[in-house]
Amino acid sequence: MKRKVVSTMLCAAMAAGLLAGCGSSSSSSAASSSSAASSASAASSSGSAETTETAASSASEAVKSGSTAAAGTADASGHTYAIVTKSAGNPYNEREASGFQDTIEALGGTCIVQNPEQATADAQISVINSLISQKVDSIAVAANDANALSAVLQQAMDAGIKVMTLDSDVEASSRMVFCNQAGVKEVGQALIDAVYDITGGEGEYAILSATSQATNQNSWIDAMKSIAESDDKYSKLVLDEVAYGDDEPQKSTDQTQALLQKYPNLKVICSPTTVGISAAAKVLQDQNSSVKLTGLGLPSEMKEYIGDDDSHSCPYMFLWNPIDLGKLAAYTSVALVSGQITGAEGDTFDAGDMENSPYTVTTNTDGATEIILGPPYKFDSSNIDEWAEVY
Amino acid sequence: MAGKSGREINAVPQSSVKQKILSWEGGLVIIFIAVLILGAAISPTYNFSSVFREMPKYLCEIFMMFAMGYILIIAEIDISVGAIVCLAATLGCFAGNAGVPLAGVIAVCIGTGFLAGCLNGVILTHFTELPSMIVTLGTQIIFRGIAEVSLGSGGSVSMSNSKMIMPLATMVGPFPLVFFFVAIAAVIFIFVLSRTTFGRKLYAVGSNHTAAHYAGIPVQKIRMICFVLIGTMAGVCALFYLSTTFGANTTTGQGYEMDVIAMCVFGGIATTGGKGNLIGATIAGFTIVCLRIALGQRNINTQLILVIIGLLLIVSVLIPRISEVLGNRKRRAAQS
Repeated sequence: MKRKVVSTMLCAAMAAGLLAGCGSSSSSSAASSSSAASSASAASSSGSAETTETAASSASEAVKSGSTAAAGTADASGHTYAIVTKSAGNPYNEREASGFQDTIEALGGTCIVQNPEQATADAQISVINSLISQKVDSIAVAANDANALSAVLQQAMDAGIKVMTLDSDVEASSRMVFCNQAGVKEVGQALIDAVYDITGGEGEYAILSATSQATNQNSWIDAMKSIAESDDKYSKLVLDEVAYGDDEPQKSTDQTQALLQKYPNLKVICSPTTVGISAAAKVLQDQNSSVKLTGLGLPSEMKEYIGDDDSHSCPYMFLWNPIDLGKLAAYTSVALVSGQITGAEGDTFDAGDMENSPYTVTTNTDGATEIILGPPYKFDSSNIDEWAEVY
Repeated sequence: MAGKSGREINAVPQSSVKQKILSWEGGLVIIFIAVLILGAAISPTYNFSSVFREMPKYLCEIFMMFAMGYILIIAEIDISVGAIVCLAATLGCFAGNAGVPLAGVIAVCIGTGFLAGCLNGVILTHFTELPSMIVTLGTQIIFRGIAEVSLGSGGSVSMSNSKMIMPLATMVGPFPLVFFFVAIAAVIFIFVLSRTTFGRKLYAVGSNHTAAHYAGIPVQKIRMICFVLIGTMAGVCALFYLSTTFGANTTTGQGYEMDVIAMCVFGGIATTGGKGNLIGATIAGFTIVCLRIALGQRNINTQLILVIIGLLLIVSVLIPRISEVLGNRKRRAAQS
């Protein structure tokens, strides 16, 4: 009997503790949200001091007049914008989310950043369900699975929430628009320009790709080839071979060595895959080869190979900037909520101080609408140390 | 009823309101109500309709919780259920995409679960010296492996005709359809455990399976039934999972086994067997679900939610021990 009294008291204490614990957490989060609000208002006031041409009133007038042309950035105040990342503890995702959050708050909106407990579609469904209950105005999600989120995102759209994706897409019917970090054409252009620049405008180059069926790599290589053919500027560049390292470090290493032996006049290897570029970088640097490297790589993996002098094998390479992707997603969310765009092809909106602003919604080869961030981001000796810590 | 010596020989305990509140289940009810109040206090959108709208995704796990209660009461464990959900959902989805009607998809999901449970049961009852933890760890890897192989390189499959599975996701008034199925399952499982000889046998096997064997209880048959039952419930879970996600992928059902075991333990079922009941587990299950929804709506960091639920679990298994220690100390103090 006494035991039961004790256990009940403990139960009650536990319940009280729960209430107290959550009470304090809610008050602390209230405090944090109020501080966020104050920082946002500070940011917006400083923003208005700096740039008066993007005044909110002109934007809302433009919205009222129904113009879909670039008409300043819409006002975000009074709305709640959510971003759902792939998982917590992933620096790439955190950069995306921070770009998103800073932009939303600078525009005066309320931002909710949600990192699912696991990198699964399941965990994202719970989070999105909860956001629907909270009646947020928009949800931007980096999908963990192309299919599994359809049902819940459809539900969100039925509830009047603007749904968009960034980084990795879902089925086109279950979102309004996709913020694509890399357009095929832009990647192809950047790579062929890098080859042109590093070779000095003429000479032999080779491509070290992933597998021969890899969709992304093949589309980028095709884009490179067609750009090279269409412009006389590239006529002195000779593509020796497209080698396939199958995204395996050992095979990529072997293929790099084979390329060096087969083509003594080779000047540049271009590897549009993170595994290939790091394997090739090691081979070239270890052999002190005069052949240079460029392509798409992860800064953290490529840090020791990037540099302008002969002791480094890679002068510069590309990937996308996750912070900018988050910013673009924020501007897109705001434009969707304000009604400035609907995600249909041809919609145009202004994205503040972003380099390629204004942005236009385009349609990709599969017929899905997307907004392309712009040319890939360049990593060279000046910024590699900083980015190597990020991802 | 008093015997010759004047002592009470009728073992039926007198029940009173006070005792009901003081029992584990009573405590759980208080915690459940506290969670509901907490939810309403911290989130302006936490109400009847939003909770029930978010619930189906969590409710499919409750099906497995009932059967897991049986498994724990007979002092066994099954950690392959998450993988069974993955396999059953995958095959169900393939069947649906191949043009099988809804009834066929239901049969495929539940049938897959049934067969997977049979496999666990057959291994465990034929090689009785093997611990169920290790066997189900092995089958977990096998089931998820089969699912991953059949899913292929993309790692995910979606229902090409999601309208077909929609009837399972309908709302009946404010309640999701799955809620009624959970309620029916709850009534059946609780009744069987507390009111039938089969239920009493489960406790007997869990308390001491050797003694149960010599008392003429078919221990292996009961183990077999329990493992088939939980496999089948995993199939049911997969079915309702499909109705909320319209697809399956390689991470489907990941961690479900631990969620379900946590609900049972929080509900007062001892993993050492022979103790606890499903009324407590059911309340505990709904408490955890409502807590998750409440914290989720307050946008509390999902990792923090896991910490809170973990703490709740640890505290719930500690309470009986603490009260025991305190009781012992008091007794010793009285003796000296």
